[in-house]
Amino acid sequence: MDFKDYYAALGVSESATPEEIKKAYRKLARKYHPDVSKEENASDKFKEVGEAYEVLKDPEKRAEYDQLRKYGARDDGSFQPPPGWQSASGFGGGGYTEADARQFSDFFEEIFGGGRHGGFSGTGFGGGGFRQNMRMRGEDVHAKLALFLEEAINGCEKQVSFTVQEADQHGRVMPRQKTLKVKIPAGMREGQHIRLKGQGAPGVGGGEAGDLFIEVELAPHPHFTVEGRDVMLTLPIAPWEAALGATVTAPTVSGKVNVKVPKGSTSGRKLRLKGKGFPGKHPGDQIIVLQVAMPEQHNPEAEKLYEQLAELEKNFNPRSKLHV
Amino acid sequence: MTKHNTTLTVEVLDNNGSTFTLREVCERGDCHAEFIIKLVDYGIIAPVEEAEEALQWQFDVAALSRLQKAMRLQRDLNLNLPGLALSLDLLDEVNAMRRDMARLEQRLRHLTGE
Repeated sequence: MDFKDYYAALGVSESATPEEIKKAYRKLARKYHPDVSKEENASDKFKEVGEAYEVLKDPEKRAEYDQLRKYGARDDGSFQPPPGWQSASGFGGGGYTEADARQFSDFFEEIFGGGRHGGFSGTGFGGGGFRQNMRMRGEDVHAKLALFLEEAINGCEKQVSFTVQEADQHGRVMPRQKTLKVKIPAGMREGQHIRLKGQGAPGVGGGEAGDLFIEVELAPHPHFTVEGRDVMLTLPIAPWEAALGATVTAPTVSGKVNVKVPKGSTSGRKLRLKGKGFPGKHPGDQIIVLQVAMPEQHNPEAEKLYEQLAELEKNFNPRSKLHV
Repeated sequence: MTKHNTTLTVEVLDNNGSTFTLREVCERGDCHAEFIIKLVDYGIIAPVEEAEEALQWQFDVAALSRLQKAMRLQRDLNLNLPGLALSLDLLDEVNAMRRDMARLEQRLRHLTGE
């Protein structure tokens, strides 16, 4: 087991005052709160900070921790509590208020014992502990699921993993990983919700199980972007295709199609492919934005043709909007 | 870890207009109606349609998920209701801007052919 340096987790010195510890905790709790932070591992860091504060804010626990820190930590970073170690501060009684002790580390468990079995604070049972005859609905789980655009538009089957809090036969609430295979219907858009009835946390004392709610997110696509129900595509075309008009091949989410580029098209011109966006009662379209692309190099013959073109089109000023 | 080999069919909530009554929201959020009424007063969550009587309120699933978020923030950061309302509004704004920025950056990449 690794030794946890709670002082380092809060970024305070061993001699920090309770006031300094509280201040450091509040700042880091705001920084790493999973609902606020976009940092990677924010959730783990938030738990770490919460666990560190749980110990260091309490003079008794802090004194025990300091003692262990002195004698229990080994040079290689691992940790073994001294033989016969027993916590005097007795965490098991549910004497915490803010932190969710079910989330604490093995290290915490080893030192202060029973923390994760101490009651139901996170689920709103207060300090009352488990009551066999209590009937209560299981917690709902709200999760997010990222889909590729193709999956969202065409529908797909997805494996979804999430954690539910579940009581075992001794009434201890433990997190349990659950994995389900779900069929996502075609046409799901960003921010839409789906529900799987009864797939949240199980109820207590014969209470109904909670539901699993999934909010759909869209992963960025290398070619398409999404605007409401429409799918946008920037389609490069050659200067001669723009000038003369052409039939070109364009990708859509459901396969390639031929698109007629009108004669005399310019960059930024929009073409609409009806019904090639998100399906539904009011299906969206695919909007193609044309973009005139140039070859990186021209051969001498082509350059000559451009010279002729420059002469023929000498009245065209592409910078007229800039008044130059 | 539990694995179900059967594929479960889902219910799309935003399409069928599923809503939740005040009582259901309280039950699911494990909180009192007074608390939800306060959250509505502060504009932290809102019923789908305004109604005189709180008992007639209907909430959508987005309100349910926002309620959970509000309760987590209140518990973990010890926020009062005006602070909670302000934080959630600012978080919404930040998230909307992050989404817009990601979308615009992507459009820009497509336009510049990167």
